[in-house]
Amino acid sequence: MTTQLAELDVRPTLRAGGEPFQQIMEAVGALEPGQGLRLLATFKPVPLFSVLGSKGFEHEEREIGGGDWEVLFRPTGRAPGEESPTAAPASDGSKWPAPVRHLDNLDLDPPEPMVRILAATEEMKDGEVLSALVCREPLFLLPELAKRGHAWQGGFEPDGKAYKILVRIGGAADPALSAASGSRSA
Amino acid sequence: MIGVSLSRWTMSYFAAALAAFLVAELLMICGYGYPVADLRAPETLVLVHLVSIGWLSLLMCGALFQFLPVLVNRPLASNSLPLPALICLIGGLGLLVAGFLQLGGQIDPSPSFLPFGGVLLGAGFALVLWNLVRTLLSAPERPLPTRFVSVGLLCLVPTVLLGIIFTLALGGATSWGPLLSLTGTGLPIHVIAGLGGWLTFTAMGVTYRLLAMFMLAPDVERMSSKASLHLGRAALAVAIGMGVATVLSGADLWPVLLVALALGVAALLLYGGDVVHLYRARKRRIIELNSRMAALGLASLAASVTLLVALVLLGRLGEHIGAVAFLVAFGWLSGLGLSQLYKIVAFLTWLECYGPVLGKAPTPRVQDLVVEGRAAKWFLLYFAAAWAGTAALLAGNSSIFRAAAGIMFVGTCGVVVQLVRTRRLADVSAEQMLPQGTERPRLLYSLSNPA
Repeated sequence: MTTQLAELDVRPTLRAGGEPFQQIMEAVGALEPGQGLRLLATFKPVPLFSVLGSKGFEHEEREIGGGDWEVLFRPTGRAPGEESPTAAPASDGSKWPAPVRHLDNLDLDPPEPMVRILAATEEMKDGEVLSALVCREPLFLLPELAKRGHAWQGGFEPDGKAYKILVRIGGAADPALSAASGSRSA
Repeated sequence: MIGVSLSRWTMSYFAAALAAFLVAELLMICGYGYPVADLRAPETLVLVHLVSIGWLSLLMCGALFQFLPVLVNRPLASNSLPLPALICLIGGLGLLVAGFLQLGGQIDPSPSFLPFGGVLLGAGFALVLWNLVRTLLSAPERPLPTRFVSVGLLCLVPTVLLGIIFTLALGGATSWGPLLSLTGTGLPIHVIAGLGGWLTFTAMGVTYRLLAMFMLAPDVERMSSKASLHLGRAALAVAIGMGVATVLSGADLWPVLLVALALGVAALLLYGGDVVHLYRARKRRIIELNSRMAALGLASLAASVTLLVALVLLGRLGEHIGAVAFLVAFGWLSGLGLSQLYKIVAFLTWLECYGPVLGKAPTPRVQDLVVEGRAAKWFLLYFAAAWAGTAALLAGNSSIFRAAAGIMFVGTCGVVVQLVRTRRLADVSAEQMLPQGTERPRLLYSLSNPA
């Protein structure tokens, strides 16, 4: 999977005897949701691995010659502090995993669409995505999804007659996804 | 965080509104105010303001605190401001009524309570407007229903300002000429801005959205809807803006009101066409009681307009203006309000009680909180009585009018009992009533748990 990477070369700073930590953290803070960082340093920056790991980034490092190192930090799509990097879920906030459940709620009387969506979310596992079609923006559902810790994104279909909402179970706790939580792509 | 939470004090507004409505109906049964007394008699003013401020305005404010956020997809600017606003409005109404009783000589006339009542009401409505307008302004886009509501809110300003001027003049707090002339001849402007602008125009905007929501009809922004908005806005601008200018210049107000009437009737005809379209385009074939009863309210609006135009053409508006105002207030606005309350209370109560456990435990449906068959008869009784009351006013028969008011009171009580039962979950089966993790909603306010 390709992640868009910003690039930061701290070798000049290090060679000048400077301390690049602040520079690195500023670069990380400026990343777009889902964006990663390509860092070039004069040594293998092991302490950074845990610091950025706690911020939801996984790393991949390689020596590029002359004692210099290239480290790719990519958002993991998991909650900060979560350790096991066994799976590699989608990390781009706008590209969630394919929905595992679909609900067509277009012809249901309100508030039945809300009831079905919440019932489905209770049966799904963390990280899974639900897709549902409803006939208007489900305004009363959204606070309830937030209370239950789910992330969502939604927007009207091109014909303007159906609103598609994607709910990612447990996604609201994830920094890489939090920007997507509550987003509208109408 | 986008989405809409429960408005905390909406139920308090509804409860206060219904109490004022029942008191007004009791007064009518007793023959207090018009038609037994004169249309401009202090007794009639007591009655009119109990209905227009106590019942209809509190109902509308309570509803807007919940539904304006739905219309604009933004949270209410403040969920706590509605309480001090409600206290100001109730206190102001109490002082206003006391002031009218002073005018009628029922209580000691000095010092006059009228200016205090006017100012306190002004403060209450200012708090309401501040909250709602800030909510409106936070919205990135303004769908058509919102623009109707904006005009309605805007009309509240001249309504209240004129009201305050009247209280100052009648309370003897001012003797400035222009204010006295507004008080002398500006009453039609106050009534049109209040009943036509604030209450009717806002109700039109809300129905565009609520009817579409409850009947699964598409939200359409038809040319006719936009034309209705523009014509209605022009009608109100003429009646209020040019009306005030005309009164201050000492010219005859009637031609201005006729122009406004023509524009307003055109706007309402287009609105009527849109409403018929909404009912026809609905995906939900069998509609719920609130939408069926709203149709009777809308029919009352059509009847009000027909009656008004007929009386103008016959040159007999002066003697029957009371009947027109009665049909607008009790058939259209009150009928529509009661019918929508029936659904809104059920939905908000359901959301408050069962929202947190939806999907986690078996929960009743919204419709399990109501028994439509039982409520329908009270609604039908109410509407029949409101129409009979209008006929009695046209016929000049105050005994039949008082009997009709009695039946309206019974119908209203019937609906109120249903609303309280809904709020208390009294019609939900015992095993479904309170699943684990829920608690019974309070009667007069809502506990929302912000995310």
